[in-house]
Amino acid sequence: MPTPYLVIDGLTKVYERGQVHALRGLSFSIEKGEFLVVIGLSGSGKSTLLRCINRLIEPTEGKIWLDGTDVARLSAKRMRRVRRRIGMIFQQFNLVDRATTVRNVLTGRLGYMPGWRSLLGLFSSQDKRTALANLERVGLRDKAYARVDELSGGQRQRVGIARALMQKPEILLADEPVSALDPATSHSIMQYLEQMNRQDGVTVIASLHFLSLARRYGTRIIALKDGQLVFDGPPKTIDNAKFKEIYGEDAEEVEVR
Amino acid sequence: MSPTPGGAGAPRDRLKVLCRRAFSFLLDWMAWGYVAYCAMYLLNYYWYTVHVDWWGTLTLPSWGWPVVILVTLELAVWCRSLGRSLGQRAIGVALRPVAGERIRLGQRVLRGFLWHLSVLLAPVWIARGEEPLHDRLARVGLRTETPDPERPGRRAILTQWGFFALFLGALTMCVGWLIIGINLQVLIRRAPQAGRIWGEMLRPDFRYFTAPDPVFHLRALSYSILDLTVVTVFMALVATVLGGVMAFPLSFLGARNVMGFSPAGWATYGVIRGFFNVFRSIETIIWASIFAIWVGYGTVLAGILALTIHTIAALGKLYSEQVEGVSPGPLEAVWAAGGSRIQVVRHAVIPQVLPSFWAFTLYRWDINVRMATVIALVGGGGIGDMLFYYKNQGDWSKVGAVVMVIVAVVWAMDYISGRLRERIA
Amino acid sequence: MTGYPEGYTSPRPEWTTGRGLYNALARRADVAAKYFAVFLLDAGGLAALWLLVTYAYAWYVLGITAYILVPWWVFALGVVEGAILWESLGRSWGQKALGRELTPVSGEATPIRRLLYFVLWHLFGLTGIGFVFVPPLHERWSGLGLRRERPSAQAPVPWYRTSAGLFVAVLLVVTMVSALGVTLTWESLRRLFTQAGQTAEFWRALVRPDTTILLDAMRDMIVTVFMAVLATLFAVAVSVPLSFLAARNLMRGPIGRPIYTLIRGAMSIARSIEPIVWAIIFLVWVTALRSPFAGILALWVHSIADLVKLYAERLEAIDQGPIEAITATGAGRLSVLRYAIVPQIVNPYISFTLYRWDINIRMATVVGLVGGGGIGQRLINYIWGVQYRQAGTVMILIVILVWAIDYLSARLRAKLA
Repeated sequence: MPTPYLVIDGLTKVYERGQVHALRGLSFSIEKGEFLVVIGLSGSGKSTLLRCINRLIEPTEGKIWLDGTDVARLSAKRMRRVRRRIGMIFQQFNLVDRATTVRNVLTGRLGYMPGWRSLLGLFSSQDKRTALANLERVGLRDKAYARVDELSGGQRQRVGIARALMQKPEILLADEPVSALDPATSHSIMQYLEQMNRQDGVTVIASLHFLSLARRYGTRIIALKDGQLVFDGPPKTIDNAKFKEIYGEDAEEVEVR
Repeated sequence: MSPTPGGAGAPRDRLKVLCRRAFSFLLDWMAWGYVAYCAMYLLNYYWYTVHVDWWGTLTLPSWGWPVVILVTLELAVWCRSLGRSLGQRAIGVALRPVAGERIRLGQRVLRGFLWHLSVLLAPVWIARGEEPLHDRLARVGLRTETPDPERPGRRAILTQWGFFALFLGALTMCVGWLIIGINLQVLIRRAPQAGRIWGEMLRPDFRYFTAPDPVFHLRALSYSILDLTVVTVFMALVATVLGGVMAFPLSFLGARNVMGFSPAGWATYGVIRGFFNVFRSIETIIWASIFAIWVGYGTVLAGILALTIHTIAALGKLYSEQVEGVSPGPLEAVWAAGGSRIQVVRHAVIPQVLPSFWAFTLYRWDINVRMATVIALVGGGGIGDMLFYYKNQGDWSKVGAVVMVIVAVVWAMDYISGRLRERIA
Repeated sequence: MTGYPEGYTSPRPEWTTGRGLYNALARRADVAAKYFAVFLLDAGGLAALWLLVTYAYAWYVLGITAYILVPWWVFALGVVEGAILWESLGRSWGQKALGRELTPVSGEATPIRRLLYFVLWHLFGLTGIGFVFVPPLHERWSGLGLRRERPSAQAPVPWYRTSAGLFVAVLLVVTMVSALGVTLTWESLRRLFTQAGQTAEFWRALVRPDTTILLDAMRDMIVTVFMAVLATLFAVAVSVPLSFLAARNLMRGPIGRPIYTLIRGAMSIARSIEPIVWAIIFLVWVTALRSPFAGILALWVHSIADLVKLYAERLEAIDQGPIEAITATGAGRLSVLRYAIVPQIVNPYISFTLYRWDINIRMATVVGLVGGGGIGQRLINYIWGVQYRQAGTVMILIVILVWAIDYLSARLRAKLA
């Protein structure tokens, strides 16, 4: 059995002067090339978990072994090195609205550029070609020089994916990538993630709200409740009883078509 | 802008397009006129070194004026033909060929020459509703610039208009530096003297904070710093309340949606808005100097009247903009229920605008406290009387004390008004 | 803790670690701050009322200016005791303003318990001792505590039947009465109606402006405009970098926060001093021979203070999303600044700058009044020289200038938005 690609060991995060526990000693591991879906109610710690992995949020306790290095203990400078291997897309897209699409995509290369070049905005022509190619890949080549605030929600998320592709990531964190989108667009976005997972071999960790999407795209599902792991296994093993346990007694499963 | 300026379209649209072109041309001409002014100023300053006052005397022989006007006009024309001028950038148009991809240099030069002919015949082509003659003969046209998805624009600094704008900025700095007589040497050389004043101000003399100063008299009464501070805050308070109370009804008369579209409504609207605009652009302190002549130099009433007038105008404008911005739904509902105009205002408009009215009034109160502290300079009364008295005596440690009290009061009022506004919003 | 049977060891107490200790202290400070905020509001309000009533009484009845009229300790004792009594027995205005009320932690709020609370607050609240404990001692032993007020289904009591409402109303009335009495004197009111003729020359200028001074006035206007433009430009150069140091969301940590506080404090002091006062100081510095220079320095200082505040507030309101996203790509701090923050603030910054330029044109005319150069200086010279017709002419010019710039700046800002 190979060593797991990402190991989370006893991860704990405490907010508000020790009052609120977002994660309570979470432990699990992921193999390379998995499509892991994290489900759970709002406030169950999904976003905190994803943000701890690339240390957008500093974990309070615990270890995060990524490919043999403990991410949680790296210096800020070394962390930046690691971050460029980790792509991320967001629920609210987190694009700069006033800039053009291609400009937003190019920011994905910032981790690879020396400081003075990025300050002057001197992206290499290689980077520019890659940016256009990635936009082509997500079907937005014709919008390359349009401002992002002219785009629709689904298009914006595709720009977010193109930005993540610029990093040539080994692992992609997707923080509720489709919560702000309608069902049809959701599927198209999820298919791009699936494609990255299958073709490029990118390990994907996505947090999702809908169990149906999780079943359709995930190779493995973990469920969080109050910052603790309540389920870990392949999608088809989630039955009605498990579902009620994760989402509470009154929950009703909704199908996203 | 329509794709064919001056061409097809309703006469009104054509007029609009023409006006925009004229505006952009004037902008270019004025920009070059400004360059000429600066050049002449610099010539005066460095070359003639004749009598150059601190305001910068402009000496030009009488025959020079036509030369300047003609040269700037030519420069503007050639700028507009040979590249993309500042004025063209300002209204977002660029010169494009009628046919083909690029404009040849010959076409541009031709357009420049033809302009002189065309401007003489302007009445003809304007009357016939055609594109300008020089554009048609050179087979070019001013078109709205659409961003090309394949070719992102060049950096602004590398374009003609960007360079020209930068040049104008640099010129402004140079000429402004000379006109104002900025002299950093003096600032450093006299730093010891200034340091003495600062030192005294930072060792404030609070002897007369509560005890009245026996030497300082206003109309045979002596005051302490505290007394005048209270008076100053009261001035601001009275002015804000009076101003707000008067601006409230006036603001409805100055709102277009309330006044309707009858001739009488338009007239009232115009008069009230004009009143707001004119009275607002005269600073409080200038009003104070007028009222000081009227009701007596150094009376508190002069200050209050000045603050009140300015408050009415400023608040009135803000209020009426709020009234114009109300959502029309509730208004329609009251109209539909058979309400009169007064009832619409009372039940549909006022509930919507009241929170922002309060916020603006508090904001104004804050401003009035600041103004009230210095209005005494021209005879408006308040703490400023003491400030300027001590300053004239050269008693800087007492000036320091007064300034510190002013800072404390203004800061406190700013804080309170800010907190209250947060609560309202 | 391995090797011991289950339940054999107790967990380490929270406060024995540095962070745990900090958390414990911070929690206690939070509780104390809530109690003292209410108390300070009540005591401050009562003090203000006392002072104003005395002031009005002294002004109208005794004909003097006085604030307390009793020994200071009577005043202090009255205010403090009044505030505590009000808080314990009723709903004080401080509680009302902060949305809190004294509610029983368990059981009923009987008068006895309220009295107990009154006594305990003296012993443990006012002295601060009680706040060492959580919940504080006076709350623990009286069974009453300040809690966020709960929404109730009953119609709220009208303001004139609550002590807080009545208090605020009385305070406002007393303030207005004394303000009107102090500021409006019969003598000056009489002059308002009889001396209007004094200003006749001013208004005559509206009909017959003095055209002989136009050229000189135009030259002064040019100086004024240049003063405003240059002061704004120089202020922008200073305040853009400063604004980053004055934004709360960018300045965190033990080094950042003091810098933030220092800059914000200095700026708010500089802003509280009107440009006129700055001009006076600078006039002494660079001498009255260089009056426009003094004027521009005054405008510059005030503009910096104002712009830093406007800019920093805009920075504090930026969208955090792009910052997060660009940090996640592995970019450094400067790249985050350049690609996530700067694009969001360019247009608002330009807009604020235009707004400030507009204000500076007005201010440039005003600093002229103390000898800060430009058109304002000409105006005040005419006024003090009793040349009212010329002064009126200059005022018309100022109105036109201010109006034009106001319109221009508003149009440009509308385009930027």
